[in-house]
Amino acid sequence: MVFLVYNAMAQTSQDALGETTVVDTDVHLTVHPEDLAQYIDEPHKTHVSNTTYGTPFPSSGWDQWMGGKIDDNWSTFTSTEEIDQFCEDFNVDHPIINTFDPLGKFPQDKLANALMRGYNDYVIDNILDESEHKALIALATQEPDKAAEELDRLGDEDQFVGAYVGTTGSHPPLGDPQYDIMYKAAEDNDLPIAFHGNAEDFMFEFPRQNQALNKFLQVHTLAHTWSQELTLNSLITEGVPEKFPGLNFVFLESGIGWVPYTMHRLNKEYSIRRNEAPLLEKSPEEYIRESCYFASQPLGEPNDPKHMNSLIEMVGAENLMYASDYPHWDFDHPSGVDKHLRSHFSAEQRQQVLYDTPIEAFKLNI
Amino acid sequence: MTKHTVATEEELQPGGRKVIQIEGREIGVFNTDGEYVAYSNWCAHQSGPLCEGSITGTYEASFDSDSLEYELEWCDEEKIINCPWHGWEYDIEDGSCLSRQKVKLPSYPVTVEDGNIVVDV
Repeated sequence: MVFLVYNAMAQTSQDALGETTVVDTDVHLTVHPEDLAQYIDEPHKTHVSNTTYGTPFPSSGWDQWMGGKIDDNWSTFTSTEEIDQFCEDFNVDHPIINTFDPLGKFPQDKLANALMRGYNDYVIDNILDESEHKALIALATQEPDKAAEELDRLGDEDQFVGAYVGTTGSHPPLGDPQYDIMYKAAEDNDLPIAFHGNAEDFMFEFPRQNQALNKFLQVHTLAHTWSQELTLNSLITEGVPEKFPGLNFVFLESGIGWVPYTMHRLNKEYSIRRNEAPLLEKSPEEYIRESCYFASQPLGEPNDPKHMNSLIEMVGAENLMYASDYPHWDFDHPSGVDKHLRSHFSAEQRQQVLYDTPIEAFKLNI
Repeated sequence: MTKHTVATEEELQPGGRKVIQIEGREIGVFNTDGEYVAYSNWCAHQSGPLCEGSITGTYEASFDSDSLEYELEWCDEEKIINCPWHGWEYDIEDGSCLSRQKVKLPSYPVTVEDGNIVVDV
């Protein structure tokens, strides 16, 4: 009896997704250093491709795949063919591609800028020119004027639908006025900024904690959310949405449980300490609801599913989007969020999360 | 219930597995230490292809509150199947999920008839 229910649920879920147009807001293209090196000028080309000089891509040493318990889908996810196969398997119609690497961690500014341009040229050649897929412009934040130049360089390319900023390792926090020139360029080019947290670079953002924790489970539970909470906090209180009212902000890979807490806490702090955020003309929650969008992955898994329904209600279908995070090991199949949408929300709200809200957030022409 | 011959005993040695399609369903058949078991190729988490995952051991720990002694043991070698998607662990002998007490894999009866392995679906 139990397995009949399981099979029926699986089948219905696949059928429902098959009949729905799904946008996936976080799909990571793997770019191996030797391939990226072809798009980078010297002296950085040698640095990237020749490990004799010390690879610029540091490893934290954590065992992400648990000694082989989880499959590595990452190494081979390098081409439009792989992306298309993924879309077919996961019932995704419109993947938004990014190159993952959080560039803010690199101590060498010039190297970070070279990697930024290299990743973007690589994506143009290997993905955009080979398919109709949409992608995000990788940004390095060390020299925000260089990030602004990159946005101006690529702003006319229709298949780029936003800019990608790794939040874990970017310093100082991303609401700092030094980034104004980057946000101005994004607004001028009508490109939303997508913030993405990650665990591998927890060692840069939170070095003491990375060194002190014993298991990767602990790091991975904290890393994305800490970085994104830091980013949203800095962004709102420094008044970035007030300075650039045309700009949308997208938060990838930290789920949604932290959003109500941070939003409500910011409201409270703001009311007490308004004179420390004098640019704001309304409550933090109003700015967040007007300009911030949140991707579902990694969707929390409460023992009582009703609790997730409540969280989705609090964030709102008009601010929530589906993301898979494929091919990383903690990816979410669309059925994860869809089971809540189908059981507790209207058809219109379901369509918002899977389709309408990402169209609005990224101003997609699809 | 209909009986389906899925393999011969010779084909499915201890530690072996075979994933087959029966009546539109994917089913994994395993020989675990001479015992045959069969489960849907479907993880209770997000419908991943569970039966194609690695078969390993796992860690178990105990803590003695009097001596404050913590013991960690790698155990159940070849008894744990891990979903290749997200690593959800199941006991291959009874299909129980190690991290969620209420979750158990849907299973199918397996018998041996004249050297053939037969699954009842």
